[in-house]
Amino acid sequence: MNSTVSSEERLARIRLNAFLYFRADWLARLLEIFGSAQEILKQDAQTLAREANLNPSTAANLLKEAFSINPQEEWDKTEKLGGHIYLPEDEEYPQSLRNCKEAPVAIYVLGKLPADQQACVGMVGTRKITPYGRRVATKLAEGLAQCGVVIVSGLARGIDSESHAACVRAKRPTVGVIGTGIGRCYPPENRALEKAILEYGGAIVSELPFNRPPNAFHFPRRNRIIAALSQPVVVIEGEVKSGALITAKLALEQGKDVLAVPGPIDSPQSGGPNSLLAQGAGVVSNVADILEYIPQAQRFGLDMRFFEHNVQTPQKPEETLSEREAQVMHTIADGQLSLDQVALAIEADVPEAAELLFNLEVKGFLACENGLYSKNKF
Amino acid sequence: MLANATAATIKGIEGFAVSVEVDIAPGLPNFAVVGLPDAEVKESKERVTAAIRNSGFDFPLKRITVNLGPAELRKSGTQFDLPIALGILAASEQLSAPAREKIKDFLVLGELALDGSLRPCAGVLPMLISCKTLGKMAIIPPANALEGQISSAPFITPHTLRELADYLEEKIPLETVQLAYVPTEEITPQTTLDFNEVKGQALAKRALEIAAAGGHNVLMIGLPGTGKSMLAKRFPGILPPLTQDEALEITKIYSICNLLGKSRLLTNRPFRDPHHTISDVALIGGGSTPKPGEVSLAHNGVLFLDEFAEFSRSALEVLREPLENGHVTISRAKETVSYPARFTLVAAMNPCPCGNLGNPLKPCTCSPTQVTRYKNRISGPLLDRIDLTVNLNPVKFTDWKQGTEGETSAQIRARVLAAREIQKKRFAGTSTTANAFMTSAQLKEFCKLPSGADTILESAMRKFGLSARSLDKILKTARTIADLEGKADIETKHLIEVMQYRPLDRKGVADL
Repeated sequence: MNSTVSSEERLARIRLNAFLYFRADWLARLLEIFGSAQEILKQDAQTLAREANLNPSTAANLLKEAFSINPQEEWDKTEKLGGHIYLPEDEEYPQSLRNCKEAPVAIYVLGKLPADQQACVGMVGTRKITPYGRRVATKLAEGLAQCGVVIVSGLARGIDSESHAACVRAKRPTVGVIGTGIGRCYPPENRALEKAILEYGGAIVSELPFNRPPNAFHFPRRNRIIAALSQPVVVIEGEVKSGALITAKLALEQGKDVLAVPGPIDSPQSGGPNSLLAQGAGVVSNVADILEYIPQAQRFGLDMRFFEHNVQTPQKPEETLSEREAQVMHTIADGQLSLDQVALAIEADVPEAAELLFNLEVKGFLACENGLYSKNKF
Repeated sequence: MLANATAATIKGIEGFAVSVEVDIAPGLPNFAVVGLPDAEVKESKERVTAAIRNSGFDFPLKRITVNLGPAELRKSGTQFDLPIALGILAASEQLSAPAREKIKDFLVLGELALDGSLRPCAGVLPMLISCKTLGKMAIIPPANALEGQISSAPFITPHTLRELADYLEEKIPLETVQLAYVPTEEITPQTTLDFNEVKGQALAKRALEIAAAGGHNVLMIGLPGTGKSMLAKRFPGILPPLTQDEALEITKIYSICNLLGKSRLLTNRPFRDPHHTISDVALIGGGSTPKPGEVSLAHNGVLFLDEFAEFSRSALEVLREPLENGHVTISRAKETVSYPARFTLVAAMNPCPCGNLGNPLKPCTCSPTQVTRYKNRISGPLLDRIDLTVNLNPVKFTDWKQGTEGETSAQIRARVLAAREIQKKRFAGTSTTANAFMTSAQLKEFCKLPSGADTILESAMRKFGLSARSLDKILKTARTIADLEGKADIETKHLIEVMQYRPLDRKGVADL
């Protein structure tokens, strides 16, 4: 970090960054008016309100929030976790984020952020994932990761987790932008996933103070960072009113391309992407559809084979299915079936059906949720 | 003058003889009961006074002291009315000398109504059984005659205090009853509910069959209306019949709780289904004078907890001890008692608060957090004690219509009995009764992994996030499945089937 920002100013910026009820570009404007964060924090609320034309109570809140955290402690805790706090002046601060109108005043980063020339694709979607969404997220994220693209997502439940997990399984880096401080893990079951992301050279990013707990308004706010870091943004599943669509909207405002995965019209989870498609979003039916939207400048180093539509992602050696197993796969087709239904259809007793389903699940052909089996692969 | 009678009281599920000493001395009229009596024993003073008067005797206006010995044992129950009344009649010399002598040969139990008639009291059966060694004839209320017969102790059943006094004076005869109660017929459960009435749900039926065969606990998760309660109610019908000892044990517990009603020996395995608002004390037993709770009433039978996740957290946590040890120990400031509670837990719950998660026809309106929170109400340690978890899904109309007539309870029960027979031989000479209760040494001896199963187990553990601790459960359950097939060794396919009954997926975490 060889930037020009003095350490006092750095700490003052961290203080300023703690005021979350304010759009980041307003903070940038304040910085412009007063010249530095230190200067802002020296003012009393009235002066601040007068000079910057703020509501007096907002100004008072800003000062209150700013002084409620201990920036040195934030810094020390972040360093202790092996992380960093970057300001827009630092070279590690991503250029794409700096270009964003609402660039965060400071970002907390664990792990290594992708380089500016690195192709990054945002993948967002519902927390209430369906088997279809799971298949699609896994397939696309896996293909993109193998091709050399970094997936940016939000480390939430559902599509986010599946996308990150697919990258981790491919042992490729991925970036998780989280809606809590980096000192926390939310949802808690993703602790192992977070660890794995860091292990494979990915990064965990947050603009929130170190220990900030999850809060509903944090999530739409962090979505702009996902949008800023990616080009294009892919919406996999999401209801018509959902966080995924907020991300899509923010991405469009930032001039990013938004792509959507078409889904069944009777699935509420596909309502969001389908409506985006109706509005002119790009259709995603395979990895190549996404790669087309990656800017030329970022294509260097990507596995070019994937750019050709007719080349599918390299298949793992296909495991052969027994006749009975094939029968089960045929029965399940695109639906969600219970063991009872499978057993009835293929005329097996419970032990035999159990054995067939177990083998198919362990091999990865099927996924089981709440006792219902569905296809896990294309 | 001093008089003596013998009565009994209950501690835990055992009876203890109590000597009732009555002393009548000159002095200001006073009536005191000493010797750790409980509230209902102290109240007996009023009933005894009225009953003596209304039976045509005089209540002595003297200084009456009643001592219940041994003094350190707590006396509870209403059965002390009759021995106290008899003692007072003897001590006030309203009974003749030969009649007074005879009282010593009896074990006297009974609650008195104010008119002097005998009312039934709780716990007669265990008291009679425990006091058989005294070699005394028992006097019990007529309403308790049925349970008296099971005890195979001799007894008479006078209807009133007056009748008893006349009998002692040899004015009237009373019939002595003594049954050597050895039912020659097999104790067969009578239930009108049959498994073939449940359409579909082959997996759940199979899980219940395994549970019945090995004494495993079951958790059924399913949408409302998928037949969870229906299946649970039919579960006792496929359990093996009660043995003599088991039947006697549960009859004793029901006797203590005064729940025997008109039945003699309980021949059906108990099926208890408390409502989910039950308090922990009602579930586990307790109170200042400890009483058995639902877990003990379900002893040797089935405890069905519907809406499992709606039970209060503390009520669920107290289940851990009986599930582990097969008994509950209740400690109060005054005493510590132990009740047997070896039951099969059958629990049922919805997959989410709205009940529609996984329903193909109706969308679930719960947020993922709500679902996780709902599932997390069942704590890990409790889930560890449940060997079989099964998901129930709605039966489609077409399946329902064309669904073949399933097996009858009798058919399933025959297989269960065969599997139990194998286990009886296996555990002969030990206290273990079924596969589910195997000790770790027995687990090592009887549940050897088949060759080549290591890789399967490893991939399953990784895939399903199973802990090493759950391996024991898997092995025990696989043992039962092997027993159902009559196989001497656990085979790989048995282990694979157990994977179908793995615990509820509480995380929804992506595979790494």
